[in-house]
Amino acid sequence: MMLSLLPQLLVSGISSGMLYALIALSMTVVYRATTVVNFGHGDMVAAGAYAVFVFGLGFGFPFLVAMALAIAVLFLAGFATQRFLMQPIVAGPHLSLAMMALAVGYTIRGALRLEWGTETLNPSRPYPQDIYMFGNVVITTDDVVICGFVLLLLAALFLLLQMTPLGKVIQATFQSQRGAALVGINVPMFHALMWGGGAALGAIGGVMLSMITPLTPDLGQWTLVQGFAAMTLGGFGSLGGAVAGGILLGITEKLLGFYANTVFIEITGYLVPILVLLLRPQGLFGRRAIVRV
Amino acid sequence: MSRVTRRLFWLIPLVLVPVPLLLNPYQQYVVNTALLYVPVGIGFNLVVGNLGLLAFSNVAYFGLGAYTSGVLMAHLGLPWWLTVIPAGMVGGVAGSIASIPALRGVRLFYLAIMTLAFGELMRWTYIRWEVLTGGSMGMAVPTASLFGWSLDTDRRRFYAFLAIVVLIVATTDRLLRSRFGRAFLAIKDNEIAAAAMGIPTDRYIVLAFAWGGAVVGLGGAMFAISVGHLSPISFDLTELIRQFAIIMVGGLGSLTGGIIGAVIITAAPQVFTSFPGFDELVFGLLIVLVILFLPRGLASLLARAHPAFVDRYYRD
Repeated sequence: MMLSLLPQLLVSGISSGMLYALIALSMTVVYRATTVVNFGHGDMVAAGAYAVFVFGLGFGFPFLVAMALAIAVLFLAGFATQRFLMQPIVAGPHLSLAMMALAVGYTIRGALRLEWGTETLNPSRPYPQDIYMFGNVVITTDDVVICGFVLLLLAALFLLLQMTPLGKVIQATFQSQRGAALVGINVPMFHALMWGGGAALGAIGGVMLSMITPLTPDLGQWTLVQGFAAMTLGGFGSLGGAVAGGILLGITEKLLGFYANTVFIEITGYLVPILVLLLRPQGLFGRRAIVRV
Repeated sequence: MSRVTRRLFWLIPLVLVPVPLLLNPYQQYVVNTALLYVPVGIGFNLVVGNLGLLAFSNVAYFGLGAYTSGVLMAHLGLPWWLTVIPAGMVGGVAGSIASIPALRGVRLFYLAIMTLAFGELMRWTYIRWEVLTGGSMGMAVPTASLFGWSLDTDRRRFYAFLAIVVLIVATTDRLLRSRFGRAFLAIKDNEIAAAAMGIPTDRYIVLAFAWGGAVVGLGGAMFAISVGHLSPISFDLTELIRQFAIIMVGGLGSLTGGIIGAVIITAAPQVFTSFPGFDELVFGLLIVLVILFLPRGLASLLARAHPAFVDRYYRD
C-alpha cells in the first residue's frame, strides 16, 4: 500500500521539481554570468506572474500575448536593474551587491502588496483541466503542460548555448570575464543582458507557478528559498545541476512529506540548503571551489 | 579625539531622562520602539558590518529572544527582569549555532542562504510549536515587572529600556575598541592574513556572532513587553528588510550608525503603517539610494561633521 503510491509521488514530485528547476536555472544564469546571487529574484518571479495577470485580465490580452508581454517587461526590469543599480557598484564589496539585489526585490514586493494587499488571486488556466489515468497513477494536465513547457525551454536553452554564436559568447564569458573582455566582448552589456534573461526566465517560472498555486505578494519569498535549495542541491553555478537539483528537490519534498511527516513539504526547502552546505558544500554536481590567497 | 569628548556621549542618555514628560503615550511607544531597535541594529551591524559576514539570521535571534521572554513569563510566571538574561543567552546560543557554517568555511552568498534558511526555519517553529507560542495566532505577553515594580505604562518601560540600551551600547563600544574589535577588522579585511598573523579567527567569529545574537536577543525581550503580543508575522522577511535598512541607512560597521538607523527606521514608518506593503517599498528604495549615493550611511555624514563621531574600528 505504501509502496504502491511511489509512482504517483514521483510523478507529482517531478512535476513540481520541473518548476523549481526552471526557477533555479534562471537564478543560475544570473549567478554564472555575474557571480552575484540575485536575492531579489523571487520577487521578480512573482512580478512576472502578476504581470501576466494584469495584461491578461486587466487589459484583456489573450494568454500567450499577455505572457509574451510579461516576459518582455521582466526582461527590461532585469536589464535596467543591472544597468542602473548593480553596474555602478559592481567593483564594491559583495555585501553591497547582495543588499542591492535584496532591496530591489523588496521594493517590488512592497509595490505588489501595496496594489493587491493581502488578496489572493487565482488566475485561471488557459487550458482545460483534465486527468489521465495510467494504471493507478494520476497525471493532470498541469503536470503535462509544466513538464512539457520546461523541457521545451531547456532544449531551446541548450541549443542556444551550444549551437549559436551568441551561445559561444555566453560560454566564453562564463569561463573568464577578463578573457572575454580582451577578445572584444562587451562584458557590462553582457551582464545586463543576462540579468534580463534571468528575469525573463524567472517570469516564465512565475507564470507556471501562478497556474497551480494562488498568487500572493509573498510568493517571491517562497520562490527564492526553493530556488536556493535547488541551486545548492545541484551545486551552485552549474546549469545542469540546477535542473537536476530542482527535480530532486521536488521528489524529495513529496517523498519525505508522504513517508515521514507532512511538515516536510513545508520545510524541505529550508533544510536542504542548510544540510547540503554543511555536509557537501559543492552540492551534488558542483566542483569544490579552491580559495587562492 | 580626546577622552573628554568621549565622555560627553554619556550626556545623551541623561538628556533623554526627562523626555517622557514631553510625550503623549503614542509618541512614547514610538520612542520605546526606536530604543529597543538600537541593540537590534548594533548586534546586526557587529556581524555584517564589522566582521563583514553576510549573516541573514538576525531576525531569528530577535524572535528567539522575544519568545524566550514571553514564554517564560506566560508559562512559568517569571517576572520580566528574570527573563531578560535568558533571552539574551538564547539569542547568543542561536548566534553561535548560526556561526557554525561560517566556521566550516561557508562564506558570502552561501552563508547568506544558510542563515536565511535558518531564520525561516525558526519562524516556522514559532508557527508550529503551538503549545508554547500560540502558533500563528500568537500569544499574549503578561504585564512586565522590574523588581516588583510594574512596567505597565510605556513611560515606565522607557526607563528600563534606556538603562539596558545604555549598558549594551557602552559594553559593545568597549568591545569594539579592544583587541576584539581590531581582530574583527583584521578578519573583515583579509581573513587568511589575519589567521596567518596568529589571530584565532574562528574564536573571534563565534564571539562576534554570540555577542551580536545576545544583544539582539535582549532587544527581543524588550520587544516582547513593548508590543504585549507576539506572533510569527513579527519575525518574517519584512522584519529582515527593516533590520537591514537600519544598518544600511545608519551606516555599516558603525556603532553610531546602528543607533541612528534604529531611531530613523523605526520612527519614520509609523506614519504609514495603514498601507500594507508601503514599509517594504520604502525600506527597499531607501537601501537602494543609500548604497548608490551614501555607501557609509548617515553615520558618515556625522563623522564628516565632527571627528568625535569617526569610527576608529572600521575601514572600507
